[in-house]
Amino acid sequence: MATVDVKRISKSYGGRQAVSDVSFSLQSREVLGLLGPNGSGKSTIMKTVSGIIKPDSGDIQILGTDVVKQPVEVKKRIGYVPEAPRIYEFLTGVEYLDFVADIHELEKNEKQERISEFLRALDLEGRENDLIHGYSQGMKQKLAIIAALLHRPHLLVLDEPLNALDPRSARIVKDLIHKLRDDGVPTIFSTHVLEIAEAICDRVIIMYEGRIIAEGTTQDLKTKAGSAGSTLEEVFLKLTGTSDTQEIVEALSR
Amino acid sequence: MNARAVYRLSVVLTKSQLRGTRRQRLTAGWFSNPLVIIIVDAMLISALGAGGYFLISKAPADMIAPLEQLDLEILIAIPTVTMFMIILFGILSELSQPVQSTSSDLVNWLPISPSEFVVGSIISVSYTYSFLPSFLLAIGLGPALYFGHSTIFATSTTMGLVALLIGSSAVELLRTLTNRISSSFYRKSGRSGIFLRLSLTILLLVCFQLLFSGRIVVSLMRGLTQAVTAVWYVPVVWPSLAVQTLSAGASLAPFAFGSLSTCFMFALLGLAVYLRKSYWVPVPVSIRLSSQPYRPSGNRLIPGFDNAESAILRKDIRSLLRRREMARFLAIPFVLAVSMWVSAYPFGDKSSASLFAVAVPLFLVPVAVFCSILSMTSIGQEGSAIWILYTAPLRATQLVKAKMALPTIMGAVFTAALLLGMSLLFKPATSIIVDLLMLGLIVVLEESALGIYIGAKFPDFREIIRSRYVSVWGSLLGTILGLLIATLTAAPLLLSELLQMPLPPTIFGIMIGMVVFVVLWRSATRQVKLLMSDIRV
Repeated sequence: MATVDVKRISKSYGGRQAVSDVSFSLQSREVLGLLGPNGSGKSTIMKTVSGIIKPDSGDIQILGTDVVKQPVEVKKRIGYVPEAPRIYEFLTGVEYLDFVADIHELEKNEKQERISEFLRALDLEGRENDLIHGYSQGMKQKLAIIAALLHRPHLLVLDEPLNALDPRSARIVKDLIHKLRDDGVPTIFSTHVLEIAEAICDRVIIMYEGRIIAEGTTQDLKTKAGSAGSTLEEVFLKLTGTSDTQEIVEALSR
Repeated sequence: MNARAVYRLSVVLTKSQLRGTRRQRLTAGWFSNPLVIIIVDAMLISALGAGGYFLISKAPADMIAPLEQLDLEILIAIPTVTMFMIILFGILSELSQPVQSTSSDLVNWLPISPSEFVVGSIISVSYTYSFLPSFLLAIGLGPALYFGHSTIFATSTTMGLVALLIGSSAVELLRTLTNRISSSFYRKSGRSGIFLRLSLTILLLVCFQLLFSGRIVVSLMRGLTQAVTAVWYVPVVWPSLAVQTLSAGASLAPFAFGSLSTCFMFALLGLAVYLRKSYWVPVPVSIRLSSQPYRPSGNRLIPGFDNAESAILRKDIRSLLRRREMARFLAIPFVLAVSMWVSAYPFGDKSSASLFAVAVPLFLVPVAVFCSILSMTSIGQEGSAIWILYTAPLRATQLVKAKMALPTIMGAVFTAALLLGMSLLFKPATSIIVDLLMLGLIVVLEESALGIYIGAKFPDFREIIRSRYVSVWGSLLGTILGLLIATLTAAPLLLSELLQMPLPPTIFGIMIGMVVFVVLWRSATRQVKLLMSDIRV
């Protein structure tokens, strides 16, 4: 049974179709990358899978549970990091993590152990008692990542998780994603940085204007695009019809 | 100084002020145009001026002399009142601005000098709040024309303008100082700094409310007119002194005080530029609340609340105490109690029937308004961080219970405090105190549940200046329903002398309250479930 099974979901905001008839699945021990230009529907899919927004139509099963019918059950087993997370700025870093751990009903000892461990690993130790208001974007991102991992989720949904992270922390998060995958915790991961997708993801989905236009391993995509020796960036630009970058650069540099 | 940059900046800052506080389609369109301020000012002056002239001309003969005296007092007070009002409005605007909304950030990265920014900002604040002197001048215009005080009126207008600029310069000074103080003082003082800020904010809001009490304003205006001469050496009264000495027939003194006022304005402007240049801190301050190692909470805050509910309650208490824009909600009970009691004083006879008649407006209305506002705003105040609750494995009942807890606790404390105050003033029988306490507590429960329903149905998650956290219609509906519910619950007690009841009226009130509470609790749970099914930000 697939960990995530998305069947023909569509979602519109007002009159704008954000996602149209999208289907995909994700196995355990797999990292799936969602790629696409801005506004292609990646974040909407992430939110729909996490039970934050309801699809207009279609069906989503997470670990055998229907997201629309039992969102609370699904949320207990998911770790979600949104794009540019906004966190309660009036709390200190450790108060926020304590809050999230309590929401997930973590035991006192486990909570203390995991929070301290993560704070140390992501270099937040020493700043944990500062109000989040004074944190840099990267520190807020680290907090959001820790909060998503605290309760030992069975699925990670990470929307641009490496944004603003320093190289060391980015490396730790990347390695952690791989380690969790090996332990049977799959990840859906979105990014604009194609090198990161190539390095982290086992399989990628390329989205454009709310639809899936390509799916497979990076090697598959290169073959399908008829450019086996190209980079993923070249394949992406070709598939999304946005390869006219040279002309734009020429025009801008005039 | 680049005049074009100053002009463009003042236009942008004015638009930011106007649009940052507009929410409705109508006001977001036409009313967000800076031109509308000139139109409002002109309309105020012409309509109120003409109306005032007409009314004076129809006034009885014995009223003419006191009215002329009052008009002179108004014209003298205009510059000083304008100045204080601008400063108060400016401070309140600063206080109600969420930390995320930093409209003045652009000065940190655009090629704009501190002096250009300060002048642009002063022009913007003066223009935005120009309706204040316009309103006061409009009141003084009709009588001034009728009594032939046009020269005094013209001087008052000029000095009002100078006072407007002085007030705006003071606001700019305060901005820089609070920015600096926040960055150095709060960094060191942590919790005590936050508590001090909260207390000062509440005190300020209570003072502001008192300024709008008709009785206090009239006595203040009277006192001010007499006081300005005694404290002629204080610069803030110089604009008013220019008008007063002119009205007393002096020829040199008005010119001297007018010149001094203008010099004072430029001095403040220079100081504001200097402080901005020297002390502005462009980066957000980092406040450390503790140096102790992390100790997990894990303890349930209230019996009957699970860990998740307690966590939300703890978070909401911290939000109320630490967010500067939330201080106004904590000030509500003080503001309500003070303003209502000031208007109602002296209280009249102390018979049991009249006590109950007084108790409804003086006791239940502040309790109902406080609880419903605190509760209605509890969901919208999550702002953009609402995603945290959306992604949390929370059932609707857990969220309703947790969100209701804070307004209920605060409401119960406020009820007890208000009742204590009433007991000291009226010295009622113990049975009346018990009746009112029970009634107050049931109203607290009803209003808290109503607030969650309204807050979930009409949330406003936008983080803007003076965020309401609930839509205008929601807030209006919630307030009306809240007052109706309080009246309904108190009805058996109020009507006890007219109707024969088989049970004590308080028991009837509590029974009505319980039924209303259960209905509202269920509606709130349904609404929260609906809200949580689809994120709105």
